[in-house]
Amino acid sequence: MGSDLGLAGKIGDAVKNAPAGKGKGQIDANAPRGVFGIPGAPQVNYMLAILWATWVGWIFSTVGAFGGVMAGVGHMSVYGLGDYARTFKDTVPALNRTLTDSIRTSNQWLVGLSSILSVINYFKSKRLSWPLGLALGAGSIVGAFSAASLSGGKVSFSQYQGWFGFFVLVVAGFLFYETTPRGQASKKAAKAAAQAFEQTVKEKGDVCALGVCAKDWGITKSTFTFFGSEFSFNPIWAFFGGVVIAAISAFIGVGGGFLYVPYLTTFVGLPMYIVAGTSALAVFISMVTSITTYIQLAGAGMDWGLVGIQLIGVFVGSMIGPRTQKYIPDIWLKRLFIVLALYVGIGYFTKGFFGQAWVPM
Amino acid sequence: MAEIFDAIFISLYRLTGNPLWDYFIGTFLLALLSVLVGQGTAFLVLSANRNHLENLDSRFATLSRLTASAMEMGDMQSYKSLNKEANDAYGQVFFNRFGLSAASLWPVFFALAWMQEHFAHILIPIPFLDSKANYFVIFLGSYIMARIFFSRARRHFVDHPGQSAESSTVLNAR
Repeated sequence: MGSDLGLAGKIGDAVKNAPAGKGKGQIDANAPRGVFGIPGAPQVNYMLAILWATWVGWIFSTVGAFGGVMAGVGHMSVYGLGDYARTFKDTVPALNRTLTDSIRTSNQWLVGLSSILSVINYFKSKRLSWPLGLALGAGSIVGAFSAASLSGGKVSFSQYQGWFGFFVLVVAGFLFYETTPRGQASKKAAKAAAQAFEQTVKEKGDVCALGVCAKDWGITKSTFTFFGSEFSFNPIWAFFGGVVIAAISAFIGVGGGFLYVPYLTTFVGLPMYIVAGTSALAVFISMVTSITTYIQLAGAGMDWGLVGIQLIGVFVGSMIGPRTQKYIPDIWLKRLFIVLALYVGIGYFTKGFFGQAWVPM
Repeated sequence: MAEIFDAIFISLYRLTGNPLWDYFIGTFLLALLSVLVGQGTAFLVLSANRNHLENLDSRFATLSRLTASAMEMGDMQSYKSLNKEANDAYGQVFFNRFGLSAASLWPVFFALAWMQEHFAHILIPIPFLDSKANYFVIFLGSYIMARIFFSRARRHFVDHPGQSAESSTVLNAR
């Protein structure tokens, strides 16, 4: 082209090197501008974007998970950004890669936003464990920055799609386990034990709430009291947990709450009272780090209008969700998402890594 | 429609005649407008979903309190079970909050889209600092200031003692 056509950042640089023309992998300077302001790029139908985002918001508010995956599917497949990025694989690989970064960053905006208001609320109600938050947050910064700076501008859309598909298959595995007789039995047992304990507390009277209180700070062992009981954790493990989870989240372009919460409750053994606020803080720190790195270092372009349109759909969906939830049993919702996750996971994994989707898409 | 919004937003950037001051004042006013519209829609979502959100919050709060009680009593079996239950409840609370975040923040992205269209290539010198910033950084700083300003103004003008309970519920839920 020889000109960036007024486009800022890496997208402008890549467009400058693109061959002019109307064919695949070419840029037609006279074509109407589409997504990210690129002439000839897909024109996202805003009504379709609102409808898809409504579906994402509905999933967020009913299932309490899987919304980030569906947001990614929207960017890659429904709005046609993935197929468009793929056309530049051979003609302008740099444009293919920078569009991949833009897709990842768009996913993170949508998913990571969920953490902002939660952090403010938990901060106000003093439900953040600062030693844990700092260890996890420091790890999140290192992990998110490393993943975004090392992979920004270097990952082709096909590679990204393949890894995204792999991640979705792992999510499907977790969801599937929860619906198996073993998973259901464990859930029922937990529910029964919780109800039995609730009854005991009713009879004995509630325990006075003292909240979280930091006691000792150390590199290998930090201690805090939680409702009077002493609790300790290894900050080094929290730090490395933050590094790994934030790196995966930044690479895939998701928030990471799905990974932080089970890590802190199952592996570190912390109570949800603390995990809720602390994981929201870690997601927020990781999101800010990776988005800033993708935009500043990797030069990822953003289509802000598209994010705004999707947020409208998300809040519409989150208003519909609670009104429809009572008509659909939780287990059937999970089964529906297992089928969807398997379909999307297999499709993306095979299309990304083998060039051909094993399911129609 | 786009032309009307364009004309309104541009007028926010022509208040003093000094280009630098106009840029900062206009961006602050644009951010304040985003805060006002966002808070309005967040209030609508909160009003529509209040019962649902309160039930979720209450369930999560109960489970958190019971988890604490189990630990206080040294009942680790119940502690683990309750923690698992609280984990599920938290997932619901967290993602329902996303609806509120989306309702509150969507205007920000339209404001950024408008600024990107008009100021993408301009770097603005930061007063008292030897550095320059793009439209995103200036808008982000302005938005944080606008939210603080809005929050203080609401506390001063709206949250008087007669309405404190209702207002603090809304405030906490956001």
